[in-house]
Amino acid sequence: MTIDNIIKIRNVSFTYPDAKEPAINNVTFDIERGSWTSIIGHNGSGKSTIIRLINGLLDADENANSKIEVDGIRLTQKTVWDIRDRVGVVFQNPDNQFVGATVADDVAFGLENRGVSRLEMTKIVPKAIAAVGMSEYADAEPGSLSGGQKQRVAIAGIIAIKPKIIILDEATSMLDPDGRSQVLQVVQQMKDKYGLTVIAITHDIDETALADQVLVMNDGQIVTQGKPEYVFKKTKLLNELGLTVPFFQQVKKDLQSNAINIPDTINSEKELINYLCQLNSKK
Amino acid sequence: MNKILIGRYIAGDSIVYKMDPRGKLVATILFIFVIFLANNPATYAILTIFSLVAVAATKLKGKVFWDGVKPIIWLILFTSLLQLFFTVGGKVYWQWMMLAISSYGIINAIYIFIRFTLIVLISTVMTVTTMPLEIADAIEWLLTPLKLLKVPVDKIALVMSIALRFVPTLFDQTFKIMNAQRARGADFNNGGLITRAKAITPLLVPLFISSLETAIDLATAMESRGYRGDQGRTRYRILQWSLYDLINLVYFIILVILLLIFRTH
Repeated sequence: MTIDNIIKIRNVSFTYPDAKEPAINNVTFDIERGSWTSIIGHNGSGKSTIIRLINGLLDADENANSKIEVDGIRLTQKTVWDIRDRVGVVFQNPDNQFVGATVADDVAFGLENRGVSRLEMTKIVPKAIAAVGMSEYADAEPGSLSGGQKQRVAIAGIIAIKPKIIILDEATSMLDPDGRSQVLQVVQQMKDKYGLTVIAITHDIDETALADQVLVMNDGQIVTQGKPEYVFKKTKLLNELGLTVPFFQQVKKDLQSNAINIPDTINSEKELINYLCQLNSKK
Repeated sequence: MNKILIGRYIAGDSIVYKMDPRGKLVATILFIFVIFLANNPATYAILTIFSLVAVAATKLKGKVFWDGVKPIIWLILFTSLLQLFFTVGGKVYWQWMMLAISSYGIINAIYIFIRFTLIVLISTVMTVTTMPLEIADAIEWLLTPLKLLKVPVDKIALVMSIALRFVPTLFDQTFKIMNAQRARGADFNNGGLITRAKAITPLLVPLFISSLETAIDLATAMESRGYRGDQGRTRYRILQWSLYDLINLVYFIILVILLLIFRTH
């Protein structure tokens, strides 16, 4: 079976006007259909720029070799709206992306833009709101919602237009731990239910545990990519880039350096706890 | 946050609440014209009774309406007093240089007082029972004919609804910035006019910048959600006429007919 890549990016560069260095420098990568990809990197490494290139909010530098392809469609001036139909983005600040005056209005905004008839909207909107567990707030105004709830509404607005890809642009970074875990849970559910592809840009290293693939960016380039366990073994590289590793990796490494032998096959908090308990009982 | 009542809307579920905002808005505007039909005690009595019934129909506490009248009570009293002292004609009860209290003056003062108060009462009924968002929708409906003159009504409507949507958010932000600047020693409440005006700078500059940032973020989010101007847009929220609006209409027509019958020609 060939790998079905929903996003193909080839030799893409992007330079902001008035900037000397390109924000994205000749980047090439693929994202598999139905996978969860985390993009990590320190501030200003070009993470957010990448996703703005994918849905055409920014135009990549002119280059004959470069191309961005989403779901088999090459991104051009003509196809940008087709691509936006397939890509939904949840942005960082929950307040600044809430367009409607109530939850239902906001969820309907994307549908209104696509000229969906009102009769159909009245069917789709309540379903989308229910999918993110916000039914009782359908008529609430944004001021009365918490940040996590607003982000769930943003997800409902995306679900309503039935995209193939959902992008979280640091969508959880302004939320409290509860809001964060609720939002991630909802995204996970939607991914399973609709077979979505998820791209999550994040600073929260624990969030990457959900990922199938991790891309590490630095100065507009992809430094390393692979499964989370593969990436987090490169502790030294990550530390040099100013990134941390997940807590259990840190514990594992500290234990290893203290002459407690822990096999490299252990790659989650649970496995580590189990292993340590067994270690104790063997004595 | 919830202390701020945008447009002083107060939640309730009496019959006035169920009326369509378009009907209420049109009735309120027309009422201001209709009030000038009254020109004798009988018509003023009719107007007062009809208005008080409308007020009672909201089932809200009297204090709400007193709060509506209170801010301009001095204007009302001042105008009435001017009428009282400067109207000449009829029987003169008291005179001192230009000032005189005459029977015409007394009647005119009372009429002006009633007129003013009724206009304020009726517009309070409207704003208190209608959400700002509904008012925006109603204004959009009223503006629709302007489409013939190529006025971008849909865009104006979107601007209005976004503006209303961000009023509470901006208030929130204002208070946060004020508190943050207070924590650094800013004093917003003391000093003369110039000192106070200067003290507002550390509040206004961040507020402007954050508004612009919000606008950019919002525009990005709207675009990525498929917004490309008005063409081909549908609407989720619509207003629907109901039986209650018929009540509103009939009530208003009866009022106008009664006024036309009883006014002196």
